[in-house]
Amino acid sequence: MSVRAEPAIATAPKTIRRSWLLAGLIFIWISLAQFLRGKATLELPVPEDSVFTAWVGEVADSIRGNRKDGLAFKYFFDPIREFVDGFVTIMREFIAIPNGSSSIPVLGWLGVISVIGFVVFAVSNFRMAFAAITLTFACGALGLWTDSMDTLAMTFAAVILSLAIGIPIGIWAGLSDRVLKAVTPILDLAQILPTLVYLAPLALFFLIGPASATIATMVYSIPIAVRLTAFGIRGVPTSPVEAGTSMGTTKRQLLQKVQLPMSSRTIIMGVNQTVMAALSFVVIAALIGAPGLGKPVIDALIIRNVGDGFVAGIAVVLLAIMLDRSTSAAITKTDTFVPPSPADRKRRRLALLVAGIVSITGIVLSRQLAWAAFFPKQIDISAQVADASDASVTWVTENLELLTTGFSKAITVGVLNPLEGVLANSPWYLTILMIALISLILGGVRSAIVSATLLLAVVATGLWYDTMMTFTQTIVATFLTMIVGVVLGVWIGRSTRAERALRPILDAGQTLPAFVYLIPMLGFFGPSRFTAIATGIVYSIPIVVKIVGQGIRDVPVNMVEAATVTGSTKWQLITKVQLPAAKKSLLLATNQGLIFVLAVVVIGGFVGGGGLGYLVLLGSSKPELQGKGLAAGVCILLLGVMIDRIAQYAVARNSAPKH
Amino acid sequence: MVRNKRVGTKASVLAAAAALLLTACGGAGVDAEASATPSDDAAVACGSYAIAMHAWVGYTASAQVITEVAKANGCDISQVTLAEAGVTYDAMESGSVDLVVEDWGGGRWQEWADRGALVEIGDNGNIGIIGMYVPQWMADEYPDITDSANLNKYADLFKNDESKGKGAWYEGPPGYTTIGEKLVSANDLNFTVLPQGSEAALIDVFTKAAENKTAAIGYWWTPQNFLAKVPMARVNFPTNDWTDAEKASGLTDYPELPLIKLATPKAMESGDAFSMIIKNFKWTNDDQNEVAADIESGTDPAVAAQKWIDANAETVAGWLK
Repeated sequence: MSVRAEPAIATAPKTIRRSWLLAGLIFIWISLAQFLRGKATLELPVPEDSVFTAWVGEVADSIRGNRKDGLAFKYFFDPIREFVDGFVTIMREFIAIPNGSSSIPVLGWLGVISVIGFVVFAVSNFRMAFAAITLTFACGALGLWTDSMDTLAMTFAAVILSLAIGIPIGIWAGLSDRVLKAVTPILDLAQILPTLVYLAPLALFFLIGPASATIATMVYSIPIAVRLTAFGIRGVPTSPVEAGTSMGTTKRQLLQKVQLPMSSRTIIMGVNQTVMAALSFVVIAALIGAPGLGKPVIDALIIRNVGDGFVAGIAVVLLAIMLDRSTSAAITKTDTFVPPSPADRKRRRLALLVAGIVSITGIVLSRQLAWAAFFPKQIDISAQVADASDASVTWVTENLELLTTGFSKAITVGVLNPLEGVLANSPWYLTILMIALISLILGGVRSAIVSATLLLAVVATGLWYDTMMTFTQTIVATFLTMIVGVVLGVWIGRSTRAERALRPILDAGQTLPAFVYLIPMLGFFGPSRFTAIATGIVYSIPIVVKIVGQGIRDVPVNMVEAATVTGSTKWQLITKVQLPAAKKSLLLATNQGLIFVLAVVVIGGFVGGGGLGYLVLLGSSKPELQGKGLAAGVCILLLGVMIDRIAQYAVARNSAPKH
Repeated sequence: MVRNKRVGTKASVLAAAAALLLTACGGAGVDAEASATPSDDAAVACGSYAIAMHAWVGYTASAQVITEVAKANGCDISQVTLAEAGVTYDAMESGSVDLVVEDWGGGRWQEWADRGALVEIGDNGNIGIIGMYVPQWMADEYPDITDSANLNKYADLFKNDESKGKGAWYEGPPGYTTIGEKLVSANDLNFTVLPQGSEAALIDVFTKAAENKTAAIGYWWTPQNFLAKVPMARVNFPTNDWTDAEKASGLTDYPELPLIKLATPKAMESGDAFSMIIKNFKWTNDDQNEVAADIESGTDPAVAAQKWIDANAETVAGWLK
């Protein structure tokens, strides 16, 4: 953020006028909605198709009918599937499943731990290696060694393939403006798209199994690799590039000797982010046949087993911490500019040699002795962890029932139902008109046109009513998220100690799969739309808090000091200086909050959330309604793009210099 | 440049490690130990197969019994957890799953069968009974509630924040056969059908209704030993002739459903022990409930299945002929 003086004062009159206009508009909307309640809501009963969904269903049927001897399948989809399947199997046979005729994978548990320890030691230091070993061992102690290894193998397979595709595209986009322009909209789209949406279409082409799961994971993680690589290449200062060019180096040399080495830090960060994205996909990938830790989580969800679901969720978090810390340690390592002394280097080489010998011993042992091959069953704390999480959820459900049901009732009756009345239970044309007018005020003409067009497309699909149900839940959840997120964000933005205390919780919150806390939420609030909302809130709070915190921290010190000198109270300082100055961050946080909430609110279809998410689930298991499920995916996408566009235009408008 | 050199040494160390690792892979000594285990003694040759696992306990019971019997006969069995119906049929088409032990889909798989992805291999002996249930306390307090004709009289009891001013009707999960909307409209019921995304949601509803004596009506089924833990009463709708699809169009109650087994042609054509076992596997609702009850009370599924196998050696022997 650039330093802007007195922004709050300069824009004040305009902002006030605009918010009055908004308030008036919303008042008119509510009155009209009340008057026209229940008319032209386009509600479509669950078992019925619209023209569009019936057509989608037919298309899907014809695609499936072609599976056996369609040319596209024979020469395109099937080879890809077989290749990916083969690659995943190799990875799995290495650490997770019996290798060929053997009864164990290539590496037993001791071997895996030895390799992890050695690799982490080689790229960073002893402390990190020890932490990585401990975390991996803990997954075994949770009774989930094989599942954890399956997840690790799947993650590595997806990451390797994603990087193999993503880094070259990223380099290309880094060097050529035209390529960057071409890929940017695709990258944006991929980031808005909730993960639940592309499972069904992928299954249509790649069937169900590890291949589909890996490809789905790649759809999610390739954009991240591309973006960060391109960003890294573009971030290389111009002077070394110019120096290289003037010395007559070829383009290839320039890339190899200057641009890639100088952007290696960002690229490793891209690797880190790609790994995290792939890992965060494990649970949802289990829905289309991915082996690993997702299975126990989904099982637990289906038969409502809070404890077991949590145990598996914790294992996901442990793996996430392990991979995150190891890869980011590699980043900090490449950061040290002080060259090591010859003595240091010698010592380091000796240490590596010793570590290598130890780990090879581990590998050999894990192939020779049963105790080193199969994770010891005696070390198993899963029952205790499951019982503890069960007990705490039961305790909350029993003792805080008044609080939980009271809160959910208040939100449902006080906010959710009225808002649904306005958005979903009033005529569709009224809703579209009003949303277009609101985006006109917030983001300008273009944003109004975009949102109206996207909403009309939703109407054309025939799933207008369900889309508005999901939209309502998204808005309510984002609203609540912003309240909590801004409070916590201001807190960590103002206090380093708070930042340090909250950071681990926020990190864990971002990696814990949403499915894991869907079950306790179900226990707290019962099957209802609020359960979906609560899950969305928990999932999106970390990102909002982080962005708001960063925004507050970035407020120029002189502004804060000036306000303190003139005798503002702490409250005035926050509300009159820091929050207005961090306005752009607040809008960005709202945008991210909305996107994150949308991704999870649709998962709420599992626990009574209804709306589009439920239709997606319905379509994937009821073949006769598959068209409806796929069309619901399209609507989620349209909704996501609309939300994102309005917010983006609003951000652009608010950060443009006004004088 | 210094940095690059260091990366270089690192790379060479890693490469050396990898080379050593490969040489260490000569032979796995563990296999020598493992082959001494009794499971490999069986003489019959049998391939490796994957059984689809669906998350309800009754299904687990059936699948686990087949798993144990097949393993004892030298088959290599893995279990793959999947959502039911469409997803599972796709998995069979891709070859990642070979067997569904208990299918409730009522012929939804026909299209896959036409393509040769799977074959129906007969009933598993269990009879599925789907219905709408109320907690037992309601049936005790309002004895006539189990007749669908009286449901509207009590509709107000079932109202909640989710149900838009009508009674709340908790519908079954998406993969299951559900006709809630048709039942409600055909019988003019003053209820709103609330779609539930998972069995977990229904268990939550019924458990709380029993504990707190709150009203609830929802989709449930047998065989499923949840009924033994939380007693519920089935609401009876007018009976119907389900042989005539036209007349049966949602007017009335769910039919009794013989549950069937589906397998891939690959598994059936092999002619090995696995194909025999899955073709002949058949047991009763009581059998399934017995194993399911053990699993639910915390016994490891494999142990619970083995217990039943030991007690019913004759039945099991019959599957192998």
